[in-house]
Amino acid sequence: MRFVSFRPATCILATTALLLIATAPSQAQTRAETLRYVTGASVNTLDPNIPGSTRESFALSMSTYDRLVAFGRKQLNGKWVFDLDTITGELAESYDVSPDGLKLTFRLRKDAKFQDGSPVTADDVKWSLDRCVTAPILGKAQLLTGSLTSADQFKVIDPYTIEVTLPKPDKLALPNLATVYPMIINSKLAKQHATADDPWATAWLKENTAGSGAYVIETFKPGEQVIVKRNEAWNRGSANKPAFFKRVIIQSVPEPATRANLVERGDADLVVDLQASDVQALEAKGKLQVISTPQYNSITFVSMNNQIPPFDNVNVRRAIAFALPYEDMFKAALFGRGAPLFGANWPDGKPLNGIYPFQQPVKIDLDKAREYLKAAGLPEGFSTTFSFNVGQASTAEPMAALVKESLGKIGIKVDIQKLPDAQMSTQINEKKLPFFTEGIVAWLPSTDYFYRNFYTGNQRWNYSSINNPELAEIAQGARFEPDKAKYEEAGRKLNAMHADLMPQIMLWQPNQDAVMAPSIAGYTYEFHRQVDYRDVSRK
Amino acid sequence: MVKTGLGGTMVRAGRRLLSSLPALFGVLVFTFLLMRVLPGDPAVFFASGPNAGKEEIEQIRKQMGLDKSVPEQLVFYLSDIGHGNLGRSMMTGQPVLKDLRERLPASLELTFTALLIALIAAVPLGVIAALRPGSVVDHGVRLFCALGVCVPTFVSGLLLIYVFYYLLGLAPDPTGRIDVFTSLPPQRTGFLSIDFLLAGDLEGWWAACKQLILPAVSMALFVIAPLARITRASMLVSLGSDFVRTARSVGLSWRKVVVTYALRNAILPVITIAGIVFSTMLGANVLVEKVFSWPGVASYALDALLSSDYAPVQGFVLLMASLFVLVNLVVDICYGIADPRVSIE
Repeated sequence: MRFVSFRPATCILATTALLLIATAPSQAQTRAETLRYVTGASVNTLDPNIPGSTRESFALSMSTYDRLVAFGRKQLNGKWVFDLDTITGELAESYDVSPDGLKLTFRLRKDAKFQDGSPVTADDVKWSLDRCVTAPILGKAQLLTGSLTSADQFKVIDPYTIEVTLPKPDKLALPNLATVYPMIINSKLAKQHATADDPWATAWLKENTAGSGAYVIETFKPGEQVIVKRNEAWNRGSANKPAFFKRVIIQSVPEPATRANLVERGDADLVVDLQASDVQALEAKGKLQVISTPQYNSITFVSMNNQIPPFDNVNVRRAIAFALPYEDMFKAALFGRGAPLFGANWPDGKPLNGIYPFQQPVKIDLDKAREYLKAAGLPEGFSTTFSFNVGQASTAEPMAALVKESLGKIGIKVDIQKLPDAQMSTQINEKKLPFFTEGIVAWLPSTDYFYRNFYTGNQRWNYSSINNPELAEIAQGARFEPDKAKYEEAGRKLNAMHADLMPQIMLWQPNQDAVMAPSIAGYTYEFHRQVDYRDVSRK
Repeated sequence: MVKTGLGGTMVRAGRRLLSSLPALFGVLVFTFLLMRVLPGDPAVFFASGPNAGKEEIEQIRKQMGLDKSVPEQLVFYLSDIGHGNLGRSMMTGQPVLKDLRERLPASLELTFTALLIALIAAVPLGVIAALRPGSVVDHGVRLFCALGVCVPTFVSGLLLIYVFYYLLGLAPDPTGRIDVFTSLPPQRTGFLSIDFLLAGDLEGWWAACKQLILPAVSMALFVIAPLARITRASMLVSLGSDFVRTARSVGLSWRKVVVTYALRNAILPVITIAGIVFSTMLGANVLVEKVFSWPGVASYALDALLSSDYAPVQGFVLLMASLFVLVNLVVDICYGIADPRVSIE
């Protein structure tokens, strides 16, 4: 009896062993052809246009959908970054801009197919662009920045040609078509799922894809993981080949320390959102590749509400600008991982160029700060609160402590206020916070774009609530300025005004620290600040 | 009126269930109002694309039904609940009911396993400590319990990951319920360890168990202490009572005295505490879920709370309240089995 009772166990062992042997080689092979990307965030919709979609959703849509055009890439200090000035065709085989800059003509690739096998035609392009400017989705506000506002602007010339007309020669019209939102959707497929209430099929596209992109959705578990497999027919990559990886696993791992462990052990291939301290430790060990790129389209600020006393007084703002311990903050918050935007030297007191963001001519100088406070009529200082959001606590908390300590030396008493993310954005939107730290990002970083969106109007992104008609006018004028020299001149003026008025204080551009296995190649810093899975390959 | 046996227990349980309905309703309305009172406008938070302006914020507000007055919202909410609709999460973009249905089994599987490990460890520890009060063994148990309580679960979790995954490489990577390269069994119960067995996939079952061990142990460590302490205390009372002295004096075996008479009488408070511990663990294991990327309900609710995503938080609280009612019922029924006298009203 005893002998018999052992049998099943032996059987199981033997089967397991056999299974292991049988699956081991094939699994090893697929592992090399699989990219496992871990992130603290998650994909929440397959259509990045849905209000509330996350950055991971943006990144995924770059691989599941194609756009008419794409940004090229360039090397910046030896690292690959996206290039705003080189725009190459993606679904467009070629494009022309008319001499007056009012007409863009796109000729489509004739071999491009949607993932269901149907060809990509100009009708699909028109439907997709119409959707972007008509439907109540995120694309609308983005395309507005490129003077693309109405469906009348998109005209089908023939099945493979589409023409875009502009009311003004807007430099940002073409780059806008390369951003996340104006993706090209299979209109026949999407229309089948449109309803009377939802003519643009937003509900269906949230859960399904209808694109021509490099990757096809295999499984989509919101908040957990997304697995995509390669679209073998896709040939819009650099060398007319499909993307490198056969499969990409995008997995949510909320704990940053666990993400660091995973990539160090080689179980994950790529991660871009580790804590600065972990990145430093991993870099020191030297086993992994660490590619750090300053996020040159984003900025971290210390903002002051220019409408709330005492920050409505320019001398108070100047006093703060000379009382911040920039170097210490930079080290404590980011371990120095980023590009500083302080401590510049302007020999003749004028901006060095017309590019925004720029390094400001400020450094800690408490005597100067005290003088400015005296000039503001507040020699004894005042009390205020300094706010930051919980989501940013790892960098903002040490920074806030240093701000409090340093401002205390010139008599400004600071209470630190830590707010849940939703509360923070609500209070910023309602213009209730006097003094806080926040960041911004611009997909299409040009000087006028920054000033128009972040320094004008009574809107959320104008953190400092600055209301300066002259600044607004120069920025608006620069938008359509075709002359490069004049544009540069406008930029210098704006930068000089910024340094003088000090509406808010630019601190730094944090690094995007991409940590990856040594075998990964081709990583590029993209405008959406996530990984474009089509860029990477394994050596 | 005297009722004994299972029938009586069931009647009592039914009555308990009915009397808990008003409480559930109260929880529903209270959570709803609380979420509205909290500062923080979810519409502003979710309209966070680089170009989201006033129009987008209004759009989201309308989508979430926040453009209506609070009493109107409450009426809509209650009628939705009546139709079994818990709303849609902005965060995951999915209906809350679907999210919870997918995530609850993960949390339950983890909590059950942790509680099982805790009970298996705590009851013998408590009994041993009670048999030799004041001895080295007793102090050892006390020290172990104190350590377990002192170390927060996420610290023990990270520590376990560091040792067993990072240093030794024994444990699989701590990313969720199953290795990403393993294919899932057809879903029947939602409990992976059971589904794999039903599908006859032993390799998969072992993979799922390996993923489960570390998070379950780090959760168990935290709750061993209350369980062991309560076992020890009530065993001490039980061992000192007259019936145990009588049992000893008539020369019954050690096993019979300790297990059959003393432990059975001492187990009631342990069951009560286990019930409470279970409910607490289910809601409070958010740190373990975060550390191990476990796709459970607690981390889901925390994320939702931070982003003021109303529907998931309300759904979660309702779920927890219902579970609490259920757990209390189960505890009641266990009472009836452990001590038939409880059934007498």
